[in-house]
Amino acid sequence: MKKTPLNRFVALVAAAGMALSAFAADSGAEEAPLRPVLSAYTLEAGGASCTETYLSPLHYSGVAFALTYERMQSMRFNPEKWVMRLDGRLSFDRTTNPAGNASMWGLDLDLGWAMTYRLRLPHSLTLLAGGATGIKGGASYSARNSNNPVAAKAAWTIDATASLIYNTRIGRVPLCLRYQAELPLTGIFFCPEYGELYYEIYLGNRRGLVHGAWPGNYFRLDNLLTADFRFGGTILRVGYRCDVFSSKTNNIVTRDITHTAVLGLVSEWISLGSRSRTALADAKIISALY
Amino acid sequence: MKMNRLLAGAAITIPALLGLGSCHSVESWNDDIYGNFDALWTIIDEHYCFFADKDVDWAEVGARYRAELNPEWEAREFFDHCAAMLAELRDGHTNLISWFDVSYYNKWWSDYPQNFDQRLVEQYYLNFDYSSGSGFIYKYLEDRKVGYVRYASFTSGISDSFIDMMMLTMKDADGMIFDVRDNGGGDISNVEKIVSHFIEERTLAGYITHKTGPGHDEFSEPYPFYFEPATEHVRWFKPVIILTNRSTFSAANNFVGAMKALPQVAIVGATTGGGSGMPFSSELPCGWGVRFSASPVYDADMVLTEAGIEPTPGGAVDLDPEAALKGVDTMLEFAIEVLNKYAEENAGNKGDAPSRFILPTESNGR
Repeated sequence: MKKTPLNRFVALVAAAGMALSAFAADSGAEEAPLRPVLSAYTLEAGGASCTETYLSPLHYSGVAFALTYERMQSMRFNPEKWVMRLDGRLSFDRTTNPAGNASMWGLDLDLGWAMTYRLRLPHSLTLLAGGATGIKGGASYSARNSNNPVAAKAAWTIDATASLIYNTRIGRVPLCLRYQAELPLTGIFFCPEYGELYYEIYLGNRRGLVHGAWPGNYFRLDNLLTADFRFGGTILRVGYRCDVFSSKTNNIVTRDITHTAVLGLVSEWISLGSRSRTALADAKIISALY
Repeated sequence: MKMNRLLAGAAITIPALLGLGSCHSVESWNDDIYGNFDALWTIIDEHYCFFADKDVDWAEVGARYRAELNPEWEAREFFDHCAAMLAELRDGHTNLISWFDVSYYNKWWSDYPQNFDQRLVEQYYLNFDYSSGSGFIYKYLEDRKVGYVRYASFTSGISDSFIDMMMLTMKDADGMIFDVRDNGGGDISNVEKIVSHFIEERTLAGYITHKTGPGHDEFSEPYPFYFEPATEHVRWFKPVIILTNRSTFSAANNFVGAMKALPQVAIVGATTGGGSGMPFSSELPCGWGVRFSASPVYDADMVLTEAGIEPTPGGAVDLDPEAALKGVDTMLEFAIEVLNKYAEENAGNKGDAPSRFILPTESNGR
């Protein structure tokens, strides 16, 4: 047969096909591990301390609430080493000024995605460390102000995140302790200029509203401590969150510190697909957290 | 193994250290007489926008008033002292708000004739019979061939369809009299809503600027803003006279500034009260609020109107108190006469009518 470029291409594709078939047959011999999806729904309640100098130079304090969803799963491409986390958090706070005669309301929505590398440490410790990205939007509202009643918040950040996990038992109850921290390293965020009214933005002046973020001007450290107690198929989560946020740009300082107690339910579920009973019995389960 | 321990340690200690040390500082004051005074002085010092325009030496003012503080003062005395300091700014947009009183600087209007009597207009011109809504009262004065519109405050929401009906009602008039005497302002977005019914195309309405930092001279580049015509609604291109007095203030002042640039509009009455600085709000540790001018607005000629807008040349008229006693509003009469005369002069040559509505003056011979 004459070796034309077309013939060479067909031969190459055929060889690649055979190689892939052989790889697939080999893979089928070892059942892929099961990767349960962890879903957690938690409520948070606690205290908030807020300063938003666009609205007031005073420190406000009051109560904070949040509703949080978290989803974690080991990754298909390397379940032993890589874990993905998705989370969403809707938070609300109501704070008052030191004199107690003015209120500020805050409403924020955070959505995040993280990819972490799993490191097995001695003493049943596991470290998850990696990167995350998230968007945040919300506003603080002061009813007493006339032309500057609202300070809007919006940001997209790339973060560093790490979790230290300790799996143990209390009696017969499996317990998973976790400390997790997330810190934005860079990104962009919205902030009006020092004395700029939102009316001017409405009129069309968009100059200087978006700023590059780094920990020096946009600092946030979200600390989460959880204890997951497994009672049969039910997992109870209790914990504590300390969310520290502080930004300064255009001489406007925004500082929100919340301390909240965390209470919620966690579930792990597995998509069985078309696996046989035997295959399931032999399959290895790699949880994201436990 | 050593590396793993290092990683674990770093994961805990680095965030903890960052958390302790990374909050940005905010100036704070004690809730005592000196702390509250310093907070008030600092808030104004860092945010107020007209120090240079009004030639106010705020450092000198602050030092003078601080030296007079007496820690034994009751709240009332302290409030009056702070209010007196704010009055040095000569600004109608500056208020101190406590649970027992709100301070106002009144001299911007109290030193001038009022030039308006609502009862006079309603009784002798409208016969207490008029249409109202969206903050307006209006009537087509058929016997005088003019439409009269009074807009007393910019705080009310405005409906385009209401303005449509209002304009259609007076479509046969020689012109419209738009009375904003004693209009103390309100929602500035209502300015655009009304002006959009008087413009043919996208129109430069003014410039706005803001502080970019706490320094007295830190301002942004003036930003030009435009109003869009209400193309889906009734628009008015016949002559319009805006009636003003010294109590035409804030958003009403901005409205006059935007309308003054339109070719079919003349300003008649007295110089407006100004108030062209959009106010900001803040507060003191004791819970009192403070409001002050923070964001200057200029007219379409880039003129600051904080001191007021003068009438169109030939349009300066006062209300004669003696005539008022006889049921005559001399400012309104002047406006009616001008509109009637203008219509009469241009009755036969609509196609060649002057492109700009000009008030009669000695210099133009009209």
